[in-house]
Amino acid sequence: MLITCPYCGPRDVIEFTYQGDGNRERPDSASQNFEAWNAYVYDRLNPAGDHNEIWQHSGGCRAHLRVVRNTLTHEISSVAFVRGDHQGRGDHGSAARRKAEDKA
Amino acid sequence: MVERQSPEPLSPLEPEFHVGSHGNFEHGVEIILTETRPGSIVQLAAWPGEEKKLIAAIRTVTGLALPDGAGGGLSDGVKSVFGFAPGKFTVADEAEGLAAAFAKVVTPAIGTVTDLSHGRIAIRIAGPKAEWVLAKFFAIDFALPAFPVGAGRSTTHHDIFAQIQRTSADQFDIYVFRSFARSFWKALCHASEEVGYEVQ
Amino acid sequence: MSPRRADTGGRIDRLKTIRFTFDGTAYTGHAGDTLASALLAKGVTLYGRSFKYHRPRGLLTAGVEEPNALVTVLKGEVREPNIPATMVEIHDGLVAISQNRFPSLAWDINAVNQLGGNILSAGFYYKTFMGPVFGPLKGTRFWMFCEHFIRRAAGLGSAGTAKDPARYERMNAFCDVLVVGSGPAGLMAARTAADQGARVMLADLEPLFGGSANWSEESIDGAPAADWARRAVAQLAGRDNVRLLPRTTVWGYYDNNTLAALERVSDHKDQPGKGEPRHRYWAIRAKSVVLATGAFERPLVFPGNDRPGVMLAHAAERYANEFGVLPGERIALFTNNDSAYRAAVALKKAGAAVVAIADVRPELSPEIRKLAAEAEAEIFAGHAVVATEGGKALSGLKLQRFDMANGALIGDARSIHADCLLMSGGWSPTIHLASQAGAKAEWNAARQAFLPPKPTQSWIGAGAFTGSFSTAEAIAEGRAAGLAAAGGPSAPSVLPVVEAVPGDPDPAPVFEIRAKGKSFVDFQHDVTAEDVRLAHREGFVSVEHLKRYTTLGMATDQGKSSNVPGLAIMAEALGKPIPEVGTTRFRPPFAPVSIGSLAAERFGDLKPERLTPMHDWHLANSATMYSAGLWYRPMIYGHAGETVEQAYVREAKATRESAGIVDVSTLGKIAVQGPDAAAFLDRVYTNMFSTLAVGKARYGLMLREDGLAFDDGTTWRLGEQDFLMTTTTANAGKVMQHLEYFLDVIWPELKVHVTSVTDEWAGAAIGGPKARQILAACVTGTSVDNATLPFMGIVRGELSGVPVMICRLSFSGEMAFEVYSGAGHGAHVWEALVEAGKPFGLVTYGLEALGTMRIEKGHVTGAEIDGRTTARDLHLDWMLSKKKPFIGSAMMDREGLIASDRLELVGLIALDNLPFNGGAHIVEEVDEANPHGSIGHITACCYSPALGRHIALALVKGGKARQGTRAHVSDPLRNRFGPVEIVSNHFFDPDGSRMHG
Ligand SMILES: [Zn+2]
Repeated sequence: MLITCPYCGPRDVIEFTYQGDGNRERPDSASQNFEAWNAYVYDRLNPAGDHNEIWQHSGGCRAHLRVVRNTLTHEISSVAFVRGDHQGRGDHGSAARRKAEDKA
Repeated sequence: MVERQSPEPLSPLEPEFHVGSHGNFEHGVEIILTETRPGSIVQLAAWPGEEKKLIAAIRTVTGLALPDGAGGGLSDGVKSVFGFAPGKFTVADEAEGLAAAFAKVVTPAIGTVTDLSHGRIAIRIAGPKAEWVLAKFFAIDFALPAFPVGAGRSTTHHDIFAQIQRTSADQFDIYVFRSFARSFWKALCHASEEVGYEVQ
Repeated sequence: MSPRRADTGGRIDRLKTIRFTFDGTAYTGHAGDTLASALLAKGVTLYGRSFKYHRPRGLLTAGVEEPNALVTVLKGEVREPNIPATMVEIHDGLVAISQNRFPSLAWDINAVNQLGGNILSAGFYYKTFMGPVFGPLKGTRFWMFCEHFIRRAAGLGSAGTAKDPARYERMNAFCDVLVVGSGPAGLMAARTAADQGARVMLADLEPLFGGSANWSEESIDGAPAADWARRAVAQLAGRDNVRLLPRTTVWGYYDNNTLAALERVSDHKDQPGKGEPRHRYWAIRAKSVVLATGAFERPLVFPGNDRPGVMLAHAAERYANEFGVLPGERIALFTNNDSAYRAAVALKKAGAAVVAIADVRPELSPEIRKLAAEAEAEIFAGHAVVATEGGKALSGLKLQRFDMANGALIGDARSIHADCLLMSGGWSPTIHLASQAGAKAEWNAARQAFLPPKPTQSWIGAGAFTGSFSTAEAIAEGRAAGLAAAGGPSAPSVLPVVEAVPGDPDPAPVFEIRAKGKSFVDFQHDVTAEDVRLAHREGFVSVEHLKRYTTLGMATDQGKSSNVPGLAIMAEALGKPIPEVGTTRFRPPFAPVSIGSLAAERFGDLKPERLTPMHDWHLANSATMYSAGLWYRPMIYGHAGETVEQAYVREAKATRESAGIVDVSTLGKIAVQGPDAAAFLDRVYTNMFSTLAVGKARYGLMLREDGLAFDDGTTWRLGEQDFLMTTTTANAGKVMQHLEYFLDVIWPELKVHVTSVTDEWAGAAIGGPKARQILAACVTGTSVDNATLPFMGIVRGELSGVPVMICRLSFSGEMAFEVYSGAGHGAHVWEALVEAGKPFGLVTYGLEALGTMRIEKGHVTGAEIDGRTTARDLHLDWMLSKKKPFIGSAMMDREGLIASDRLELVGLIALDNLPFNGGAHIVEEVDEANPHGSIGHITACCYSPALGRHIALALVKGGKARQGTRAHVSDPLRNRFGPVEIVSNHFFDPDGSRMHG
């Protein structure tokens, strides 16, 4: 499987670390809402189809990427920096991000 | 002349660094391996939106004007710079003192300066078979159109992180963590045996 | 020249004689020979014994699909079993032996298995051995009893035990077009794509490019096809944008057009070149792939079809034309299609007598009859072979009239005298790689074969792979595929002109002749047609179940020749058409792959390891090294005659009495920089860091999001916005990722950069009552007295001309300092410290003494922060700030995490004064006969020189409340039982007076 890092280009999956379900929302640090914390820490979507995942390019630029991957086919339909407001240098990064936004 | 105040830092390659020709060199030496031992290796990182100012700072300190694009870089033979991650750059210089020089121009509003002069080891592989030997380690495309001169790449060989800059058509400078350097050097020599290599 | 070898022709070099041995007998062959062709030239007919029945077997094929002639190649002490003799290129000194025979190939004691053949039918193993256990020797237990004997009698070659000294390598490659297969279709595709300027790789598993052109005897553009291929290859070889990979099996087709290939770089040489690998594993990323992998000829299933001398028709043609070797002198053919007639003509031309052609079809075309006449062969149309005769070689066969419509055999059998029988049951396109890539094969009734579906974007088929069996079609499709793969415009061009033997590509739909005797479907696994039917009678209807029950297609050849015949027989038994029975999905590898090539350089001396700047000093000073993850650290610095325990006791004792020094360079070090660095650390650690003064360090604890303890260490504030965080050695990478995740994903608004600086700094920890005096003796530029360098203070100075940073902190419990310098100066500083310490009795100590002193102090490490413990369990609740939220604060107070019966950290003292073992259980009452009732376990233990006792740290249920009580250690595995006293984990100097000095 290849993941196309917006900065580094297509790289083998071996360079990446899976960092979990990208749908989780972390409650505010001061929140005492235990249900929300429980959901964040333990609940995971397990869809058969497109899944919103976070991968770190740990063996490359080390950026965290939001990857939409089909769990049935491994087909990756979009990759973007998680740090959405980050201006990746050059067109390479921003083009990939735009593409991901278009799909979303 | 490089001026040093402290004793010469020890190379971690020392016991495995054997100057001369090795491997299948009777059929010609197709690889030259060296340790370039820059006086300074510095990592610069800009806050989002401050990249342009950091690039300007790099120009001020080194005189090198970074080209656009992810992984862009250049080298004048003495100083080298390349991008290895969004907003992040590696700069190397034959002289010491780069971190101090950058600390003066990279203000906290622009980004950070991290001195890695001891922590990273720069190994140079050159020669007509450089792409061939590197392809044994790294799953990236070393062909010139895909990896132009000056450009940088971050990648991994097993657990060994590497930043690679192409410093000429058949020459690459590889920056690896110091603790892994000897292992990597041994593997590099081993992989170069079939084409014949010289350590300089 | 042997009588079976022609004087001219083929790929062999008759001027080069090569000497090798097979089963101890010396043979000669020629350069270009395979082991199979060389032995065949010498009249060898017997190559192996079959898997279950030990039946004698000869060569069935000439290529990678060979199921019978498997050999073991010996190189020194190293043996590699199960290699098809058809794929072994001979070289001087080659030593090969046959397999699965005892005591010898010609005289095999287990051949009696044939007599009891019905016992070993389908599912024999499952029925006889597997299942519930009743009585002493039934079911699974019976299997365990018999397994040893059966494994010896049935099976393939055995692997060796000697370490393989060969070199293996991995290679990463990128290209625009990967062409798999170098027959006319592949050559055309490669040439066309290369002309378009594409980066092209061409791989073929044979040593010689050309595929069928090497033996078809057709002509292309007026020249022999083999010459045309040679010219095409020479042109490709001269181009910069083409990489040719002979002897390279593309064996895996993975996601995103990543393909795996095995190049046999030096197996065919007596000695590999200096530094040359034996095998090279190619990981190829291709923009597009041209599959020109050809087709496999299928055997026909009839009684005695496995007798030595029975061979596939095209294989004989290959031996005759490519190697100049005749497989027999009196040759008969048995076919259901036209392609075998070309073989008849070729063998006739090569000098054999073609005595008969049995064809299941009653009507034959005039062209085919003309070819038979050219071969001077008698045609038996509407006939089938019903038996073969002979032992270790074929002596004859029986023919009978055959009705293709109903499979009936009519009239009397007729005997034919022949020493070789060639068969052809039609052709199956080699669709394995396309199938791996996800393509679902489609049954083509005319071709009686599974064809690949319409090309998807990532690959394009050409030639026999697509079911286009003629060379003219292969050339046209190859060119089209090359253009499409390179993305070039489809400009018209003149294609090479092919002159070929005529023939209809469609066979008659006949797979099996049902007559008395064993008819083999899967030669390698000894599966007969009757086994397939038996499986059906026993209720197996799915093709996947059939495969597993009969083991059809599950041998090392992966059913390359048996798949379709097996399916056809199954379909007939089920009364269904073949496409409804379905085909199986092919999986990697296409052909066996050496384990060495997969491991490549990641073993032995080339395994990556991490060394500290002082590594060489440790080695030169009698350190015994210990691998901790990838790091190497001194375990002890042993004196002559010392045991490990004596050494660490001496080191720890000397440290507490005078001073000791230990290399702590492996500690994870992370630069945390930026305007929000302090705020970030407040969120990451359970305690406050924003209040830490510049020039001071603080011990910090991190939790995971779920509230459990994660890692601990000290963090030094070097500047207002500049922190140096240290982590445990083992968790350095994990902590780094943890920080990066929160900065990138959760709190992108924080202006903080984290950088691994583990390798930037060398660290030496020097501790003991005389540590400060030693530093005072060698450090310049700063004082190290209590005022300048208080506990957790940091100063900068120089040591032997090197800038250093010194932090006063203690893991050993002694007055201690960590001295950091640039890693390149680490050894220099270390030596200077050791030298300065000599007058003070400074010792170097290793991990064992380090561990001993930390146990005495009751400090926690990864053994206690084990992913299950909380800060409270470890008595670190004093570090949990109530003034701010931090990672884990919301979850750490959950009911289960604050329960009173949790495992809590305690100290143990052995009351019987015997050593403890890590992992041993703690119980309230000892029951040696029936150990039970664990209340916890030991995490770390040692002999404490400070206490003069065997002590341990343990996690014990409600441990804090048990302090002062007694319990027992219960360690049945190591037979260690004994009374212990539960105490505080702070065994030694609990109020810290020593380190505060
Ligand atoms: Zn990346």
